[in-house]
Parts: sequence; C-alpha cells; structure tokens
Amino acid sequence: MYICLCLGVTTGTVQQAIDAGARSTRQVAEACGAGSICGRCGHTIRTMIEAAAPDPPVSKPARLRRRWGRS
Amino acid sequence: MSLVLAADYRVPDFDHWWAALTAGLPRLPGLGAHHVVVYRSLADASRVFVTIGFSERPPVDALLRSPLMFSWFDSAGVDELPPMFAGEAVEKLDLDLLPGAAADIAAAGAVFVATIAPVGRRDGVARLRASVHAAVTRLADSGVRRFWIYRALDDQAEVMILQEIATERQAEQWIRHPDAAAGFMAEAGVGAYPPLFVGRLVQALEVPGT
Repeated sequence: MYICLCLGVTTGTVQQAIDAGARSTRQVAEACGAGSICGRCGHTIRTMIEAAAPDPPVSKPARLRRRWGRS
Repeated sequence: MSLVLAADYRVPDFDHWWAALTAGLPRLPGLGAHHVVVYRSLADASRVFVTIGFSERPPVDALLRSPLMFSWFDSAGVDELPPMFAGEAVEKLDLDLLPGAAADIAAAGAVFVATIAPVGRRDGVARLRASVHAAVTRLADSGVRRFWIYRALDDQAEVMILQEIATERQAEQWIRHPDAAAGFMAEAGVGAYPPLFVGRLVQALEVPGT
C-alpha cells in the first residue's frame, strides 16, 4: 500500500525505516520522507510504529521484584 | 494494463461525502478512471471501502499526488489520508456460475468482504490462487459467489481480496469459520493494513465521458 501520497512512499519503505530504528513520525520522515510534506498520513505511520513496538514488560509481583532487586 | 486503487476509510458525514463524490465524478476522466465502486460497512456507517478502476495504468506516484486526488478527500472533509492499495486483478472467480449454484438469491442481500493483507514472500499469491481453485466447491457451498484477487504493484506479496457472499448470515459464518483457503483474512488489521471490511455495495458508478 501507499502510505504517503505526496511522495508515493509505500508500506514496505516505511516498515524498513521502522525496522532500522525510527520510533517517531519525525524519524520516519527523516529516514524515507513519508509524512514530510502534508503530514496527513501521520496516523498510519504511528499505527505502524506502535505495531512494531515490543510488548511492554510484564511487571513482576512485588515479592519477586524485591528478591530479584538484591542480585 | 489496468489498475485498481482502493482505500478503506471513515467519512465524517456519509451524505455529504456521497454528494462530493458524485459531484467530482466528471473530473475523474482527467485521471483516466472509468469507474468507482463504493461499499459501506454494515457495522460502522461512517466506514467506506472505495475502489477506482483505470483502463490504462498511469504512473501511480503521479496519480496519488495529483491535486484531484487530494481535493477528493478535502471536499469530503477527510483529514487523515488512508493508505491506498494499488494493484491489478490476477483472479476473478465467479462461483455463482458453477453448476448447481443457488442463482436465485437476490444480489441485493449480498455482503462484500474486503481484505488487504500480505500473503507471504515466496509465491504467496500463486499459492493462494491454487488453494482457492482447489476449494471452489466449498467456497460456493459456503455462500461465496465471487472471489477476486488483486496483486499490489508495489509489493508482490500483498493482495486485496474482494469476496461477495450471498447473505449476511453466511458472511458471519464465513468470517467466524473460514475455509483454509481464506486464511488470509486473519492477517487483516495488522500494522497499516485495515481491519476486515464487511459491507454492502452502495453503487458502482461509471465515470461519465469514459
């Protein structure tokens, strides 16, 4: 799919930028240009960034946190 | 070589959007478009799925960034531009033409299920086509009347699939318990890909002057 209509940037190109470390719409724009002209594709880029983000770590129960915290 | 553009998005006011769409049709020959097909979601009345057909294949980049394309969204009050699928038809199976198929069901009740999804890097489209061909009888028995596959121009592993299903009940059943040949539906809604679209045809509009 084409994400950025202004520059014709595709899903694949945006994904490559995210895989290379871009973690904000600004960083994606710097990497591949997507969203750098009118910015109206920003919501889609944010969705892709969120989809690529690792799941948040599950917090350990307090007892385990204390125990592991000593080591 | 033909081209189909497709987008799945929400419109703030369907009636206003529809008026803007039909009013803008006479400008579309300038882009080379010859028809526009509009579907409306069953679950979300503000959600539409629109395909635009082109008999020739103009440069996609130039087409997407044309002022006409932007004014199309602007006039309808759509601020956030949706991702656009651009592809070509690689398979059009009309299963209601199979011997014994129930041809008496009114087309008006038909439900359309649209999916844009990846199908795997290696021969994904070829494998999908083969599995669908092997399953035509099961598909027809499940109420699937049309099964059209479009391959993306920018990504050979990405497809748009339009399925026409005879009734809403059969569509619900099909989505809940799809055949193995329709496993691609599980890939919808990931990342930039829109969730499965389930809706009815509003109208297939021919672009005047084409």
